[in-house]
Amino acid sequence: MSKSRRSRLTAILALAVALVLGVAACGDSGGDGDQSTAQSGPRTMTIWLMEGSAPPKVVDAVNAEWKKAHPNDTVKVELQQWNNITTKLDAAFAGSSPPDVVELGNTLVSKYAAAGALQDLTGSRGEFENNQAWLQSLTESCTMDGKLVCAPYLAGSRAVIYRKSMFAKAGITELPASLEELQAASEKLMATFGSDKRFSAFYFPGKYWYAALPFVWDHGGDIAVQDGGQWRGTLDSAEAQAGLTALKQLVDCCSRADKQGDELKQDQTFAQGHIAMIVANGWEKGVILDPKEGNPKLEKDLAAFPLPSRTSGQTAPVFLGGSDLGIAAKSKNQDLALDWVKLLAGTNFQTQMATVGGVIPNSTTLLDVHADDPYLSVFDATAKNSRFTPTSPNWANVEAANILPDMLVSIFTERASVADATKEASTRITETLNAGS
Amino acid sequence: MTRKRLTRAGYNTAAVLVLLVTLFPIYWMVATGFKRGVDILSFEPRWLPIPGTLENYRSAIGKPHFLQDVRNSVLVVIATIVISLALAFLAALAAARFRFRGRAALVVMLIVVQMVPLEALIIPIYLMLDRAGQTDRLAGIIVTYLTFVLPFAIWTLRGFIVNIPEELEEAAMVDGCTRAGAFRRILFPLVAPGLVATAVFSFILVWNDYLIAYVLLRSPEKQTLGIWLASFTTNHGTEWGGVMAGSTLFAIPAVVFFLLVQRRLVSGLTAGAVKG
Amino acid sequence: MRAVETRPPSSRRRATPAERPPAPRRRPGARARRLRPLVPYTLLAPALLVLAAILGFPLYRLLSLSFQQYGLKELFAGRGTFIGLRNYQDILTDPFFWTVVARTMVFAGVAVGLTMGLGTLVALLLRNLARPMRVLVTAGLVAAWAMPTLTAISIWQWMFDFEFGVVNWLLTRLGVDGFEQHNWFDQPLQGFTVIMIVVVWGALPFVAITLHAGLTQVPAELEEAARVDGAGAWQVFRHITLPVMKPIFLILATLSTIWDFKVFTQIWVLLNQRPSREYFLLGIWSYSESFGVTRYGKGAAIAVIMVILLLLVTSFYVRQMLRAVGP
Repeated sequence: MSKSRRSRLTAILALAVALVLGVAACGDSGGDGDQSTAQSGPRTMTIWLMEGSAPPKVVDAVNAEWKKAHPNDTVKVELQQWNNITTKLDAAFAGSSPPDVVELGNTLVSKYAAAGALQDLTGSRGEFENNQAWLQSLTESCTMDGKLVCAPYLAGSRAVIYRKSMFAKAGITELPASLEELQAASEKLMATFGSDKRFSAFYFPGKYWYAALPFVWDHGGDIAVQDGGQWRGTLDSAEAQAGLTALKQLVDCCSRADKQGDELKQDQTFAQGHIAMIVANGWEKGVILDPKEGNPKLEKDLAAFPLPSRTSGQTAPVFLGGSDLGIAAKSKNQDLALDWVKLLAGTNFQTQMATVGGVIPNSTTLLDVHADDPYLSVFDATAKNSRFTPTSPNWANVEAANILPDMLVSIFTERASVADATKEASTRITETLNAGS
Repeated sequence: MTRKRLTRAGYNTAAVLVLLVTLFPIYWMVATGFKRGVDILSFEPRWLPIPGTLENYRSAIGKPHFLQDVRNSVLVVIATIVISLALAFLAALAAARFRFRGRAALVVMLIVVQMVPLEALIIPIYLMLDRAGQTDRLAGIIVTYLTFVLPFAIWTLRGFIVNIPEELEEAAMVDGCTRAGAFRRILFPLVAPGLVATAVFSFILVWNDYLIAYVLLRSPEKQTLGIWLASFTTNHGTEWGGVMAGSTLFAIPAVVFFLLVQRRLVSGLTAGAVKG
Repeated sequence: MRAVETRPPSSRRRATPAERPPAPRRRPGARARRLRPLVPYTLLAPALLVLAAILGFPLYRLLSLSFQQYGLKELFAGRGTFIGLRNYQDILTDPFFWTVVARTMVFAGVAVGLTMGLGTLVALLLRNLARPMRVLVTAGLVAAWAMPTLTAISIWQWMFDFEFGVVNWLLTRLGVDGFEQHNWFDQPLQGFTVIMIVVVWGALPFVAITLHAGLTQVPAELEEAARVDGAGAWQVFRHITLPVMKPIFLILATLSTIWDFKVFTQIWVLLNQRPSREYFLLGIWSYSESFGVTRYGKGAAIAVIMVILLLLVTSFYVRQMLRAVGP
């Protein structure tokens, strides 16, 4: 009797020890055995795409096409979530086997490229279809010290989404063709609907810096300029100040959005029916109309027009968001990865991305795919007149420090004058961009 | 008599207040899971999900790899709980019933380890598991969870075992039990609530984790439910109906687990602490 | 392993192996006696091995990072530059550091106080409730505990939203002025109040349930006797209940201190992952230095300082603990 008990206890102890040793033993084995075989034998390549960037159909088609050239090799596409993605990227690039191909938001590229995470693709540029027609702003985001570190993948730009019925009721028959007309139209809408305390003619959350930049650029200002290798914040220039002052005027009269809020919920808010205009990406219409998030009944009432310039008849330059495809410097499958990227960035699949996914493709030559879609073509057109944030590896730190949102909030809440707020922001931008990394 | 009734009424009022505060967010979660898009973020709060929809649940369950995620989460939780209980119990036995050199250091270490912020360790842990080829493996996150569960578990269980009068064991042994027998018949039943309390703590920690699983796992077929729940937030914003429907589903196993162990838990949580 | 059973029962706490009288019932062999001191180590080995294997290296790594210039480039290359105490020097001479430390201390202090205070009240309440109501409240607490953390925080964020906030709606309905379209995170004091509510709400179930369990161990006769002697409710609590509960209070207070000092997720989610500097506590600051601006060395140094501060703050309890454990 005592013997059996004793052995049972011993067994538990032994099991516990075995578990630990087992865990340790696992640690010695495994690893990246299949990748160290390098060029010989079948290889597996990993692709990280962001969730929602490419329709599964397109990804499958790219994989199938790639497989034709590499019948023995395998491609594994892993969709990653946006939240905390930089934490995950930091860890993955630091590790021994990062994904071979990675989709990066275009404002993140320079940070990772400067740290040596991405393979130099300059020599391969000629092999990419449309490489001379790549959208200017996307190419800029992929260029680091004159070298090409990624391939433009897809673009996103903003225009104004508005309610046709509200415009009609307010007696606005012509779409605003200049900033002045935008202001006038907004005031008219406020006069018509303003008694509704929730109503905003031009809904503009205070921290929405992507949508504020067009006003700066349109007036001839910029975020920062580079001379002699040094960056200088220029938001305090007279031009930039004039742009922000014009925006403030618009916000003052016609927006009841949170002056300290961000744009994360603007589509759901728009769907509530108390807003006439928002500055939005093309895909945001989908959110507004989604029965799970918004109101499908608005379908017929939505349309878009480009953010007008102060010069009548022209449009304001917009911030071009989007993603690029990079190849990890540590990748042991450079050739496979390059072939895959070339496919997805090429004419065939970019066209599919545009038609199936409704995104803005990476080249000017492909911008007419939505020509017969009156809604999407508005967004495609704005991509032609677009700008980008300073391509400094430290730009991500400017974003992390909330410099632009802080400035906008100070301006809109009138805690600081436009002059003071822009002065402070410029100083911080200069410091941050020039900081040794 | 009236005074007593008044006090009783006072207690009940307070209880209702407590219930309101604890349950309102839960009610909001469950109700939102059944709401239609326009009713979710609405200027006038919608107290009832009428007219309702099951669309959110359909979308939550219809996410790719949902069943796989469930399987992974269950596997990870069970493995972590079982292994941590076994290891912690042995360690706690040593810390509670034996004198040995380094015991004080051990106790201090168990506290200090809990003070290190998890976020600061995530990259070093990733790099170490990477070196061992254990990233993107469930085994990798299980051992990682173990290290966060073990210090608390050992600590709690130690308090428990200390709390059980040795005389009980001695009495059993006088009655002819061996030490192992005494252990099994006397000690184990008394420690059971402690094991339950520890299991609950581990369950919550592991079931709810997002960051460790997110950074360590990359394959779509190896994700856990924590990641599934986060997938309702994309760069296109958060799908609130889906999040709430998903969270409701997500919370059910935890509540069931609680209800199953609740009676033992209550006695468990304290006994561990009483003898510090 | 065999030594576990051969060890005589009376030795466990009072006597050290050397002075222990020979075992009455069994006669352990010389070998077993020699192995006896190894028993606790054998029992500890599995747990310690796991901890050492998985946590040892990362902890060492964290410490060594804090002495290095370590950015993204160094991270990807796998080696940094040793710069001695520079990171620490930078942090300690930065006036912002002291602001953050003070803020963290005050926040954690208030949060622990509120959690323990409210937890005690709820626990006492539970004890005084009739059974059905008690079960109901316990179930409510348990359900709140089981709610996914991120969802719970998001819901609270929603409650205090600018446009869709139920709290703003309610206050406006109740006739309180200035809460229509009110931003709760405009003023840090208000913002931290919201954060505090979320943190305390999240911690309350664990504390209340544990304390209630502890209360069941306070001998009812003792309290009754005190009451018969004419002691008031507070006196009974102060002189009877509190001393019995002291160890539980200490443990819960320590755990709460550790958790509230490290608070991260609540602030991170409530402020949409972009907290401004006036919302930085040590945990947020460390994370933001590491992952926001990729100064991993400095981020690690902040984390190390955090642990040291926590040790100082909880040293009282740790000492008590050691006293209980013995030399």
